[in-house]
Amino acid sequence: MTNQYYEFFCPVKVIAGKAALEHIPYELTGLAAKRPMIVTDKGVRAAGLLDPVVAACEESGLEIISIYDDVPPDSSTDVVRDIAGIYRSEKCDSIIAVGGGSAIDTAKAVNILVSEGGDDIAAYSGAGVIKHPLKPFLVVPTTAGTGSEVTSVAVITDTTKSVKLPFTSSFLLPNAAVIDPRMTLTLPPHITAATAMDAMTHATEAFTCMAKNPLSDAYATAAVKKISTSLLQVMDNPKDSDGRLELAQASTMAGIAFSNSMVGLVHALGHATGAICHLPHGLCMSLYLPYVLEYNLESIRAPLGELLLYLEGPDVYSATPASRRAEASISALRKLRDELHKRCKLPRTLKETGSVEEHQLDTIAEMAMDDGAMMFNPKEVSLEDARAVLKRAWA
Amino acid sequence: MLAKRIQPMVFQARRLYVELMFQVMGRALQAVSEIDSAVQKEARALPDGFLFEMMVMPDGSRLIVEHTGNGRFHYHGDSAPRPVDLSIQFKHIAHAFLVLSFQEKTSVAFANDRMLVDGDISYAIRMTRVLNRLETFILPKLVAKRAVKEYPSNLHLPEKLLSAARIYLKVATHFVETVRA
Repeated sequence: MTNQYYEFFCPVKVIAGKAALEHIPYELTGLAAKRPMIVTDKGVRAAGLLDPVVAACEESGLEIISIYDDVPPDSSTDVVRDIAGIYRSEKCDSIIAVGGGSAIDTAKAVNILVSEGGDDIAAYSGAGVIKHPLKPFLVVPTTAGTGSEVTSVAVITDTTKSVKLPFTSSFLLPNAAVIDPRMTLTLPPHITAATAMDAMTHATEAFTCMAKNPLSDAYATAAVKKISTSLLQVMDNPKDSDGRLELAQASTMAGIAFSNSMVGLVHALGHATGAICHLPHGLCMSLYLPYVLEYNLESIRAPLGELLLYLEGPDVYSATPASRRAEASISALRKLRDELHKRCKLPRTLKETGSVEEHQLDTIAEMAMDDGAMMFNPKEVSLEDARAVLKRAWA
Repeated sequence: MLAKRIQPMVFQARRLYVELMFQVMGRALQAVSEIDSAVQKEARALPDGFLFEMMVMPDGSRLIVEHTGNGRFHYHGDSAPRPVDLSIQFKHIAHAFLVLSFQEKTSVAFANDRMLVDGDISYAIRMTRVLNRLETFILPKLVAKRAVKEYPSNLHLPEKLLSAARIYLKVATHFVETVRA
């Protein structure tokens, strides 16, 4: 008997497909919620993405009591306190987050305050602090990458102390994630590419890192297959709503996979690069993925080789000798990045981003060493190793 | 029948083993911070007065060390002078036994959700590196390979033996001093 052991948890109801938004009133009514508040950002509102959500609710006689549309890209404790204040003064009883990672994380934090009480969200920071179910909460993602709709984590910046506060609790998970292809139909090409590569990285790291397990593997491989099949189709035909739905579902599936099996060095480097050079998270993921897989290669040869089936399909998989499949998987990811670069100039190296200076690599490496994701990387990473990976990713 | 009779003794032995290992590790953490520059470098990033705890939930054995400054740790035994800053908690004594008897690597125990981190995760990662460094010194290579994710290729036998001898000597001295006190 081996020591193998795993845990898997995802209680989020997934509502996906055509006219999914129109299920929101029914879901909220089922949770005894009648006065929902929408938390979103100005970009979502300007893109007209709020209109179908509001229309779907009003058509069913469910009035949206309040809309907060000023969530910044890097949300803060002040923003959370302000939104909680509006929620209370308007006597709302539920939250609908409409947006990407920042709007969703902000809504999760607001839900803590309005459910647990108080104005100081920092008091609830950490793991396992929240002990009770929170208010009814629905998430409508407008990007297909973060997977935040199925993760039990939120990160909010404490502006007074200039630190990022993590919140971890299964009670942060929404009651339902509503995935409607209309919400991602107008995503610009470079965001479509970067967020899809974010989901691809979630799935790939979930499948190759230390906490992989049979259930997260199933979600990860399905996500890789959907992204490999649909991403370039959507890049060539952005109005392909079937392809958009495939990417959105892949993002949720990858989110379920990585929230149950964690991620590794790609995320550690990406978090540090994002913090120091302010590069978008999805771009960092796309950039580092092949270099980290090459670094980890001998520790992940078997699962990485297996991924070739989902990256390239059965014909290529069966035509590739088993001993070469891991390398072929990395080549497939490189090929995908090249195609994305051709279509939307998504950078493949740190130099191509134009936002990173070579002298910053040491600082990035040092910060990455203390990232929580480092624990789950299948190969031990020294500071020198992290520097070497960054040098390879430079140009 | 016999197994049922032996079971309480097995549980008691396991509890004593975990308690003893925590005592050895706590003292060894203090010792390694006095002799190894890599550990000192890692520890210097921790705030002075930083209290680290490793314990078995809900209220089992524990070890507490304090970063007293300049990369040095001080072992406080099983009681903290004030609330701890970082706590790594085994969910059950069986999980602590798996790790402390080197049947499961620390990193695997994290991956398997055997342990919880209460506190700043970046400090937890740092303390795990310190624990790994300690284990590579004080354990025979074959055992250390079971305890850490990757045995360092640049740690050669003379350095390992010398460091291990100095750490064990300090641990033994500390034990004697504790008994005398």
